[in-house]
Amino acid sequence: MSYGIMFAVLGGVLAAIFGGVGSAIGVGTVGRSAAGVVAEDPSKFGKVLILQILPGTQGLYGFLVAFLLLTRIGIMGGSPIELTSAQGLMYFAACLPMAVGGLISGIHQGKAAAAGVGLVAKKPEESGKAIIFAAMVETYAVLALLISILAIFNITSIITA
Amino acid sequence: MAKIKMKYLEIAAPVEESKDIFDYLQLSNSMELEKLEETEGLQIISTEKTVSSIEKYSEVAGKALQALDRYAPEKSSLISALKPLPEMTFSEFVKKSDSADEILGVCYDICECERNITDSKAAIARNEAAIDAVKPWLPLDVPMKFKGTETTDAYIGTLPDLYSAESLTQALSEKLADEGRFECEVVSQAENRSCIFVLCSKECSEEVLAALRSMGFSYPSDPTKHPPRVRYERLAAENKKLKETIEESKKEIAAHASDREDIQFVSDYFSIRRERYKALNNVSAGDRIVIISGYVPENKAEKLTGELDSRFSVAMTLTEPDESKDAPVYLKNPSVAAAVEPITEMYSAPGKDDLDPNPIMAAFYYIFFGLMLSDAGYGLLMAMGCGIAKFKFKVQGKMKKTVDMYFWCGLATLFWGTLFGSWFGDIFELVANQFFGIPDLGAHLNSLLGFNLFKDGIALWFQPVNDPMKLMIYSFLFGIIHLFVGLGACFVKMWKQGNKTGAVFDVIPVYIFVLGIASIGAGVLMEVPPAIKEAGKWCAIAGAVLIILTAGRDSKNIVGKLGLGLYGLYNTASGWLSDILSYSRLLALGLCTGVIASVVNTLGTMPQNLALKAIMLVPVFIFGHTVNMAINLIGTYVHTNRLQYVEFFSKFYEGGGRTFTPLGNNTKYIHIKEDK
Repeated sequence: MSYGIMFAVLGGVLAAIFGGVGSAIGVGTVGRSAAGVVAEDPSKFGKVLILQILPGTQGLYGFLVAFLLLTRIGIMGGSPIELTSAQGLMYFAACLPMAVGGLISGIHQGKAAAAGVGLVAKKPEESGKAIIFAAMVETYAVLALLISILAIFNITSIITA
Repeated sequence: MAKIKMKYLEIAAPVEESKDIFDYLQLSNSMELEKLEETEGLQIISTEKTVSSIEKYSEVAGKALQALDRYAPEKSSLISALKPLPEMTFSEFVKKSDSADEILGVCYDICECERNITDSKAAIARNEAAIDAVKPWLPLDVPMKFKGTETTDAYIGTLPDLYSAESLTQALSEKLADEGRFECEVVSQAENRSCIFVLCSKECSEEVLAALRSMGFSYPSDPTKHPPRVRYERLAAENKKLKETIEESKKEIAAHASDREDIQFVSDYFSIRRERYKALNNVSAGDRIVIISGYVPENKAEKLTGELDSRFSVAMTLTEPDESKDAPVYLKNPSVAAAVEPITEMYSAPGKDDLDPNPIMAAFYYIFFGLMLSDAGYGLLMAMGCGIAKFKFKVQGKMKKTVDMYFWCGLATLFWGTLFGSWFGDIFELVANQFFGIPDLGAHLNSLLGFNLFKDGIALWFQPVNDPMKLMIYSFLFGIIHLFVGLGACFVKMWKQGNKTGAVFDVIPVYIFVLGIASIGAGVLMEVPPAIKEAGKWCAIAGAVLIILTAGRDSKNIVGKLGLGLYGLYNTASGWLSDILSYSRLLALGLCTGVIASVVNTLGTMPQNLALKAIMLVPVFIFGHTVNMAINLIGTYVHTNRLQYVEFFSKFYEGGGRTFTPLGNNTKYIHIKEDK
């Protein structure tokens, strides 16, 4: 077995790790402010829960990238394909946008959503706007996800061609 | 259909009839009152005091209902929440309002009981703390305040560290000059603390105290007058009684469960009265007449004035509202488009010059929602759930629009899911493959049908996982259509405002430019015939030149015109590029749902043994897909909204309007209708 497959797995795992870490930090940040608001007014639970879930998507995207990659390189089926080091590094690079983008956007989306929780506490009728503010940050996680996925798909078609 | 024109209605009526007129206005739910300027001879009725006292009653009724829900909970289900409110005619309502005071009395009783419960709970907590403090002293037979006898002094208190009677005697005698003139007892010990009783003869009293102090002796904070057991028993008895009081109060509240409907009635009754007195603030009254003025939507004006005219002796004038005043906005759309009104309102109600965005937005909203959720199974569940609420229970009010919206979103999701062959991920293919040994379900079904219905797996079109680039190109295409429609709306809006040059110069060049750039850009992603590329190139150049020439037309000198023109071109290019790229989320979120759904299915079918596989699949399927659907629903909702707010609305929509809020019956528990 060459180093190629190792680089590829490493990339996928990094996407899952850092996406997950970003989301965990983000969701945790929102959760803390949400708990404060619910302590005052339990009826706002539904509204702040949505805000709390928002930064959770980065972890999901990281998981998605890792899963797609592991399937493509055959780790998931138990029969890994042969990869040269260069090919492995290409997969590794393909995962980086999701890993870095997921980590940082997760943390900052968490902060934006936590501020949104403050908005909901004062003006519950404006919760839609609070959601949009937090969702703005997510755009960059979506873009990172897209590049990672497209890269993985296209690298696979180059390798198998 | 769209924005309904507002009319301004002034009603002059005799004071005697004003009450009935108000009743009718509130029931008809079609006029928003507005304060008249103060005029001579007329006074504005101030009702703030009444409003605040009604608010107090309404609060009492609300609290009583909460208490009832806590101690005599009503069986409720999701279905009962969807049921329409019970109806009541206006005369029934008036008749029943006579008993409002009586019911309010019941509410006060319930609140009293509730207060008893909270007070008793607080007292119990206080007593428990006191019991905890006295517990270590229970073995003591004398009061904690016991000072000694004629010849002896007693010291009762605590020492840090654990002592037994012997170790304490020893420690004390080491500190004293002479021995044997004191007696020690350790009452109890706990948590590194000993409760002690020391008796010594009066002569050496001070010496003993000094020795004790050096060991860290302190008196108890709240010594008892009687032996500690007496206090303990008193507190325990008190708590028992308090607990009984709580139980009694709970029972008393629960006994009022049969009054729930009445209390709900008064809660609504007070909210109706509050609305009315708030509205009364806007009414001007003289000695004999009152003037009621406000906004009425054009489509309701005729009916309202007709009814008022036939029922009461009133004089009315219906005029166009003053342009400078901030008239409210009333939207009327067919239910497919009305369903997305709350989404628009969340952004902002349409301003004076805005078009009603809902009819154009609705179609895109459903299409994009479906593309992003993109699983036929989830769509079917949504459409079925909302369909039952919509057709069977006929939900009304605010819920109706939400249910409608998710119904249409569900249908759109079903549509896209079928095209993409995603039914709870790949569950059909997986089951066919692993349980029935059919390797390619789509091909198998095609051969059964006799023609090629399924193109890729069981997809009617193609599976995004197998060809993401294709869906990406379509995402951008949908995006461009969406944005072009938005730009078209901008054209219509400016044209209607009379800014015809603006409409032509700000919109047409952008169309040409973006079309040109898009056909060149498409070449990056797919094969484009050279002729189209060539045409695109000239389009882009022509558009760019037009933008440079027209964007700076407001500037006076030639340098300013050119500068602003170039700036306009830069803005158009960068703005449209990021707007269009933003639509790639249609692909990303769609893939996300499908792939995670497939992961769930893969996890569920991990065991090799078929029976085990089936047993494992059911719970994993239910749990996994519930979670996936919930998370993706939220994501889809948020991103669909974003595409409307940020990309679409920025092209033409300003907002800043005020929603029409007529004087009406804002009830929670009953629906009041006109008498037949």
